[in-house]
Amino acid sequence: MIELEGVTKVFGNKRAVDRLDLRVHAGELFAFLGPNGAGKTTTIKMICGLLAPTAGRVRVGGHDAASREARQLLGYVPDQPYLYDKLTGREFLRFVVEMYGLDRARASARIEELIDTFDMGDFIDELCENYSQGMKQRVVFASALVHDPKVLVVDEPLVGLDPRSARIVKNLFVSQARSGAAVLMSIHLLAIAEELADRIGIVDHGRMLTVGTLAELRERAQHDGSLEDLFLKLTGTELNARPGQSVLECTEI
Amino acid sequence: MSLAIPELIRLPDLAPDRTARALRWLRWWQVRNTTTNLIQGSRLRIAMILFCSAVFWAGLFILFLGGFQFISLYVDLANTIVEYLFSMFFLSLLVMLFFSSGIIVYTALFHSREAAYLLTTPASTDRIFAYKFAEAVGFSSWGFFLLGSPLMVAYGLTVKAPAAFYAMFLLYLLSFVLIPGSIGAVAAITVANIFPRRQKTVLALSVAGVVALLAILGVRLWRTPGDTLSGDWLGSMLNRLAFCQSPLWPSRWMSAGLLASAKGEWSQAGYHLMVLSAHAGLLYLAAAVVARDLYRRGYSRVQGGRTSRRRRGLLFLDAIVHRLFFFLPHPIRLLILKDLRTFLRDPAQWSQFLIFFGLLAFYFLNIPQLGYGAQTPYWRNLVSFLNLSVTALILSTFTSRFIFPLLSLEGRNFWILGLLPLRREQILWSKFVFSAGISLVATEALVVLSDLMLRMSPVMIALHVGMIAVLCLGLSGISVGLGARLPNLRETDPSKIAAGFGGTLNLLVSLVFIFAIVTALALPCHLYFAGQEHPESASIAMSHSGLRLWLSIAISASLIVGILGTLIPLRIGIKAFRRMEF
Repeated sequence: MIELEGVTKVFGNKRAVDRLDLRVHAGELFAFLGPNGAGKTTTIKMICGLLAPTAGRVRVGGHDAASREARQLLGYVPDQPYLYDKLTGREFLRFVVEMYGLDRARASARIEELIDTFDMGDFIDELCENYSQGMKQRVVFASALVHDPKVLVVDEPLVGLDPRSARIVKNLFVSQARSGAAVLMSIHLLAIAEELADRIGIVDHGRMLTVGTLAELRERAQHDGSLEDLFLKLTGTELNARPGQSVLECTEI
Repeated sequence: MSLAIPELIRLPDLAPDRTARALRWLRWWQVRNTTTNLIQGSRLRIAMILFCSAVFWAGLFILFLGGFQFISLYVDLANTIVEYLFSMFFLSLLVMLFFSSGIIVYTALFHSREAAYLLTTPASTDRIFAYKFAEAVGFSSWGFFLLGSPLMVAYGLTVKAPAAFYAMFLLYLLSFVLIPGSIGAVAAITVANIFPRRQKTVLALSVAGVVALLAILGVRLWRTPGDTLSGDWLGSMLNRLAFCQSPLWPSRWMSAGLLASAKGEWSQAGYHLMVLSAHAGLLYLAAAVVARDLYRRGYSRVQGGRTSRRRRGLLFLDAIVHRLFFFLPHPIRLLILKDLRTFLRDPAQWSQFLIFFGLLAFYFLNIPQLGYGAQTPYWRNLVSFLNLSVTALILSTFTSRFIFPLLSLEGRNFWILGLLPLRREQILWSKFVFSAGISLVATEALVVLSDLMLRMSPVMIALHVGMIAVLCLGLSGISVGLGARLPNLRETDPSKIAAGFGGTLNLLVSLVFIFAIVTALALPCHLYFAGQEHPESASIAMSHSGLRLWLSIAISASLIVGILGTLIPLRIGIKAFRRMEF
C-alpha cells in the first residue's frame, strides 16, 4: 500500500533521507521510530506528496505520492495539525467530506459517528480557536478518518491527548489496520510501538537501520531487553555515565 | 531490497466541482463566522474601523476634489494633465500591486500552514492556487479601492460624469487588479522554483531596481528646463512622462477607458474594458497553468531549501549595548540585546527601516540642489518643520509596524518572560529603551542633517533636536504601552498584528501625538517668520518678544504633552502586563 524505493531527500548539503526502502502493506500497523532529526517527518511528508524525493520513488496504493489519486486514499495527521480558527469543528468535518466527494447522507452519518467516538459533542459547534490542544487533536483525527482512508499516516499521534482520547486513538489505529488500511505512525513513545505495531522500522541519519516484528528485531540484534534498550543500542545513543555519575536503570513494574 | 510491482488501487473520479464547492463553503463559513464574531464581540472596534475609514476616505475625497477643481478652473491643458495623472497613478498602482500581490501569493502558497494542509487533500494544485490567489489579490488591492474610489468619485463629480461611470469603475477595477496579481503570482511561483533559497535577495534586488528607476525619473523631472509652472515647463514635464502613455500599458487602457466613460463615450469605454478584461483573463489563465505545473514542485523546493546556517554571536554588539546602556540593570540589557538580534536578523524589519530613512536622508542631502537652502527664512522654517513632521510620521509607521507587535510576538513563549526573575515592568522598560534607542539614533541624525542643509540657526536646530527626542520617546511609549495593553498572542505574523485593531489604534494615537507636538511648536515659529516675510500681515504675525514668550509656553506645553504621552501609555501597559495570565 505504501512503497518507498531507494528514496533519498537532500536539503542543501544535508542528506535527510538516504536510500530508504520501505513497504507498508494493507492491514498492517507500522511504527516508524528514530531519534530527533532522523528523517521520519521528511519521509512522511514525501509519502503525503508535500516533498518530492531527490531520488527514488514513493507510491501510495500504486499511485505516485504527489498524485491526486494518492491523496484521495490518504488520511494524514501531522505533528502540528492545522485547523481553521474561524470554523467550528463540525464545519471543518463537513468541509473535509465535501473535499473528498463523499455522499452527503453517508458523510453526515459518519461525522456523527466520529463526534460520538471522540466524545466531541460538547464542543464540536464552537469555533476551533477556542479549543484546547487535546480538542484540536481529536478533531484532526476525526478529519483524517472521516473519508475512511485506505492509508493512514500519523506523525506523533498522542501529543496533547488525555489518557481516554489516547486509548480511543490507539484502538482506532488497530481497528483501521484490521479493516484493511495501511497505518504508518511515527512515534517517540516506544511502549506504544511495542504495544500496537505489527512491524517496527528504526531509522537514523536518514537510513533504515532495521525493520521487522519486535521478535525479529530482538533476534537480529541479539537482544532480549525492552524496545527502549534495543532502540538505544541500534541508534548508538545508549546513556554512558560520566565519571562520578550513575545511569538510572529502569525496570518495568 | 527488491520490491514487487505494487498493487494499484482504482478510485472513482472525484468531481472537480466538489473541491471547488468545498473551498467556496470554506470561504463563506470563515467570512460569516468572523463577521458574526466581530458584530457580537467588538462593536466598538467595528465602529472605530468604519469611522476611521470614512474619515480617511472623506479626507482623500476633499483633497482630490480640490485638486480636480483647481486643474479644471486654472490650468491649461486640463484634459491632458488629468490623462497623464490617471496614467501615472494607475501605472504606480500596477507596480505596487505587482509587488504586494507577488509577496502575499508567495507567503500564502509556500509558507502558510493552510497551504501545507490543502496540498495533502485531493484538491488539484490549480484549484488551491485559485483559492489562495483570490485571497491574496483581495488583501493586496483593498487599499487600492480605498485610494482609487475617492479619486474616481471626485473626478466624476468635477466633470459631471453619468451614473454608469461609477459602475464602470468597479468593472475596470476588477479586471485591472487581476493583471498585476497574475503577473506577481507567476513571478512568485517562478522564484520558488528557481531560487528557493534566495527569495529575499530576489525581492531586494527587484525593489532596488524599482527605486533606481524612480530615482532616474525623479532626477529627470527635477531637471525639466524652463521656469517652474510656466507653459513651456509644463510641456517639457509632460514630455518626460510620455512613457506612461504607451498603449501597451494596462494602466493606459484603464485611464483611457475611465476617461471615455466619464465623457459618456461608451464605445471607447467598452473597447478599453474588453482589452483590459481579456488580458486579465489571459494572464490569470497563464498563472493558473504555471501553478498547476510548478506549484507542488516549488513547494517541495522551498521546504527543502531552508538552510540551517550557524549564527555567530555578534560579540561586538553585546559589548556596545552593555557599554551604551551601562546605567540599566544587566537583565534589561540582555532583553534589549534579544530584541536587537531579532531586529538585525529579520530583513523585513531592518530593510524597511533602512529604505524609508535612507530615502529621507537622500532627500535631505539633496536640499541644496533643490535650492531650499537659498530661500527666505520663512520658507526654510516651513520646510524644516515639514521635514521634521515627515520624519516623525515615518517613525510612527515604524513603531506601529515593528514595536507595537513586539510583546504580541512573544506569544506562546510568553511564559519565558513571565517566569524571568525580573519585575514585569522591567520587561516593558527594556522594550521602551530598545525602541527609543533605535529611533533616537536614526531621527536625530536626519533632523540635524535636514537643518544643516537648510542653514537653520543653532537655536532652531536645538529646538528641532529636542522636539524629535520628545516625539521618539512618546511614540515608543505609546507603542510599547498599547502593545502590552492590546496584545494579540495568537497571531505570529507582525503585519497582521499591526493591521489589527490594536495596531490601528496605536497608529491613530501616534498621529494625534505628532500633530499635537508639531503644531504646538511650529505655530509660533510660523507666525513669527510669516511676520518677517510679509510685514503687511502684522495683525496676525508675532514679534520677537512674542515669539520668545509663546515659544516658552509651547515648549513647556509640548514637554508636558510629551511626558504624559510617554508615561500614560506605559503605565496603562505596565498595569495590563502585571495582570496578564499566561
